[in-house]
Amino acid sequence: MSETPDPSPNVTPAFKAENEVFAPKSSTIISPNQFAFVRLPSEGMKIVELKPGGIINLGKFGAFAVDGVLGYPFGQTFEILDDNQVTPIESITYEADISEDVELSEGGAEAAGPELTKDELTKLFTNSSENNQNIINIGSSIQKLSSEEIDSLKKSGASSDFGQKIIEQIIAGHAGFDKKTIFSQQKYLKRKQQKFLRRFTMEYLGSSQLLKYYIEKDSQRVLDMSEETLGLLLNYANVRQGGRYLLVDETGGVVLYAMMERMKGQGTIVVAHDNEHPNHIALRYSNYQPSMVEDMVKPINWLQFMEPENERIDWVTATEDELNDMKFAKRQQYERRSKRAQEVNSVIDQVTTGNFDAVIVVSTLNLPSLVPHLIGTVGGSRPIVLYHQYKESLLDTQHSLSNDKRVLAPSIFETRVRPHQTIPGRMHPVMSMRGFGGYILWATRVFPKEGGVTAVGRGVSKKKKDEEAKVEEKDVVMEEAKDDKA
Amino acid sequence: MQSRRCADPHLVRIDAKRWQGPLFYPFRCSYIAWNRDIMSFYKYKDIIEEGDFVLAFIGRGNLKHITVTPGSVLNTRYGSFEHERMIGMKFGDQMSGARGVGFIHLLHPSPELWTISLPHRTQIVYTPDSSYIMQRLGVTTGTRVIEAGTGSGSFSHSFARTVGSEGVLFSYEFHEPRFLEAKKEFQEHGLLDVNTLITHRDVCNGGFEIESIPERFSSDCKSVNADVVFLDLPSPWTAIPHLQKVIAKRSRVGICCFSPCIEQVEKTVKALQENGWSSIEMVEVAGKRWEARKEMVKDISDVVKRLKDIQSRKSQGIENRRHAKVVGEKREISEVNDEDSGSEPKKFQNLGKGFNPFGKGLRVKEGDDQWTWTNVTKIEADIKSHTSYLTFAYMNPNVRIAEFPKQTTTNESS
Repeated sequence: MSETPDPSPNVTPAFKAENEVFAPKSSTIISPNQFAFVRLPSEGMKIVELKPGGIINLGKFGAFAVDGVLGYPFGQTFEILDDNQVTPIESITYEADISEDVELSEGGAEAAGPELTKDELTKLFTNSSENNQNIINIGSSIQKLSSEEIDSLKKSGASSDFGQKIIEQIIAGHAGFDKKTIFSQQKYLKRKQQKFLRRFTMEYLGSSQLLKYYIEKDSQRVLDMSEETLGLLLNYANVRQGGRYLLVDETGGVVLYAMMERMKGQGTIVVAHDNEHPNHIALRYSNYQPSMVEDMVKPINWLQFMEPENERIDWVTATEDELNDMKFAKRQQYERRSKRAQEVNSVIDQVTTGNFDAVIVVSTLNLPSLVPHLIGTVGGSRPIVLYHQYKESLLDTQHSLSNDKRVLAPSIFETRVRPHQTIPGRMHPVMSMRGFGGYILWATRVFPKEGGVTAVGRGVSKKKKDEEAKVEEKDVVMEEAKDDKA
Repeated sequence: MQSRRCADPHLVRIDAKRWQGPLFYPFRCSYIAWNRDIMSFYKYKDIIEEGDFVLAFIGRGNLKHITVTPGSVLNTRYGSFEHERMIGMKFGDQMSGARGVGFIHLLHPSPELWTISLPHRTQIVYTPDSSYIMQRLGVTTGTRVIEAGTGSGSFSHSFARTVGSEGVLFSYEFHEPRFLEAKKEFQEHGLLDVNTLITHRDVCNGGFEIESIPERFSSDCKSVNADVVFLDLPSPWTAIPHLQKVIAKRSRVGICCFSPCIEQVEKTVKALQENGWSSIEMVEVAGKRWEARKEMVKDISDVVKRLKDIQSRKSQGIENRRHAKVVGEKREISEVNDEDSGSEPKKFQNLGKGFNPFGKGLRVKEGDDQWTWTNVTKIEADIKSHTSYLTFAYMNPNVRIAEFPKQTTTNESS
């Protein structure tokens, strides 16, 4: 089972989730023939396909049989046992429990000061979340380990307490361990856990997980978009069940997937793209049936979008006689072309009809020149949401939109999430985090009053006194009022 | 602007006591028939009709919510706007004031616009926080959500929109006046008709269980059966032990506790640990709005040129005369003699007063074509430097809940 397996659209999952007419995949139960997201103790991540009877290799963390994890809810953490078997456990690391136990044994505020002895550490291990296993026996195995010895330990085979044994022995062999403060002891322990624990968490591959996977792999592929920015984009765009959206998505379909997830198969997304065919590579992990994707996602290329009348296909339906005269291959070709013509014309109709519930642009195209072509397709009072990895691009766009009276109150937003070390008594923001995440421009599509309006602003009363000057001043006043509103 | 019929406290009060009972539906329908079709937060409509819920956009951050009622008038500093004239207009239309002066925009409600315009009953959860919580906890169409307390109902609208007709929002509020206000508001906005159930309850003492969930809101097991929990309470740690009875047992459940103080987070984290929640992580969300501005490009060579100009004018005695006048006095172009027509005209803005490359003493409008500008962003004057700490955690059932037919016999699992 490789990290990026081939998509297998023809596999029909044996499992059919209840109430999921359009998406016969489960978002709650680990189910066969579905892609899933694996978190490793190293904070690494993988996307795996759960083929019944298959074995999934997690590199140094071991390998496990797919059948062992099927049927558990997503989010479950497992420990790898002998012979690729797994057992469910509560947590991927011990971190939270350590702090708790230290406080119990040493009394709250003083916890930070005293050293943690090997015996106490042993106790921590046994009192850890994995309390269904009595796995540590430190007293009998104190020894100094060389890297060769660690290697040979690793090769000695997978057993349930393999990871802990190694960590235990490394700690035991660490002559200076007792002299470390509790902080560095814990850091050391965590590092070793990340290296040796044979554990993994099997998560549902939602849009956040998919985005995280791409951010780790190559953040440029998702244009540096962060999870919080994706969330902000979806909310500002008012994405919901049954909506009808125009989307430009250069993240390979991650934004598209996020929208499909929120809409759960109900609604329409017209996707404008700049090649012959759209790049929705991320959807291969979605487990959505091709028919459901076809129902929901309507691709249109920019040529068709910009010149709909030229690109519309004049399709002449063959008569019954003509159809009967066709040879099999010819008939097939006819059917294919007919279907394509209908699809192209129908998506062109979607765009010329317009009135979309939102336009969402996640693109590297020059926005000031692109966006004016999109505004007209958006329904009244619906949101226009633009994403860009650089604030400057949105800045230029906002300036160019400020003279477009079809757009109300454009604003640039930034959101950044700052994670904290979450241990009672020692809460603090983590020392480093990702710096990027992108920016959102949010505006509302409006219809300017025909013939213009006279705004209330500075100079209006003066203007009333001087009726003659009114016409000349009108534009100035408009500008001022706009400033007031901006 | 709201209808008087719904504002009748007596009706609302009876309603509040009866909401769980079977009598509730006929009773409710009898007095809300006038706006029973309001679906503002679930789908868009194009044309404004009588009884519609409209957000009047008056200025940035200044939105007024109105129910279109013939005979009513919306008065703003930009003029008066009769509701009657709104009927038949499009959502998104610019509407001019009664005397042809001033304008507003008539907007369709959305949870995000509502968040800007809603009446604050409590501190509200703003969009950067709420959108992140939803995304991180995987809230989609069909999710069953617990929200306690309701507060100003900002997040409720956002949840209700996203979970749609297949999901449910169970909202709890312990403060009775706030509960009644929120309930009335949810009723008027159509939330209660679609997917929202609001309960007057102190969940810290009374827990989250609901005795008779309307059939359309109940899951297979006739209980709350929540997939996602959001706690915005003064002491979430006292509510956490009650959750066990109402969260989904067959799938992972996500929780977010929203607390402004770090001491609250400490207690919350301990309570989460003690009650079996894992993957506990606290984060902060920093949301910012950037303004697009323009900064004048001031070239050093122009500064030097201007100094030279001043010097030469001084030596000619012109500068002294200039000081006799008010500096920067605004004059019509026609009043001013074009003395220096030989030099670069663009930089001579205050003709007759020397070389003035940056419009010194003039009221220069940002972005005026006569000068050179560069695009810049400026952060909004007041940023929300701390909204609350968001503590996330998950509850895993830790049991196998489904069996799939084995396709090979090689691996037997225990």
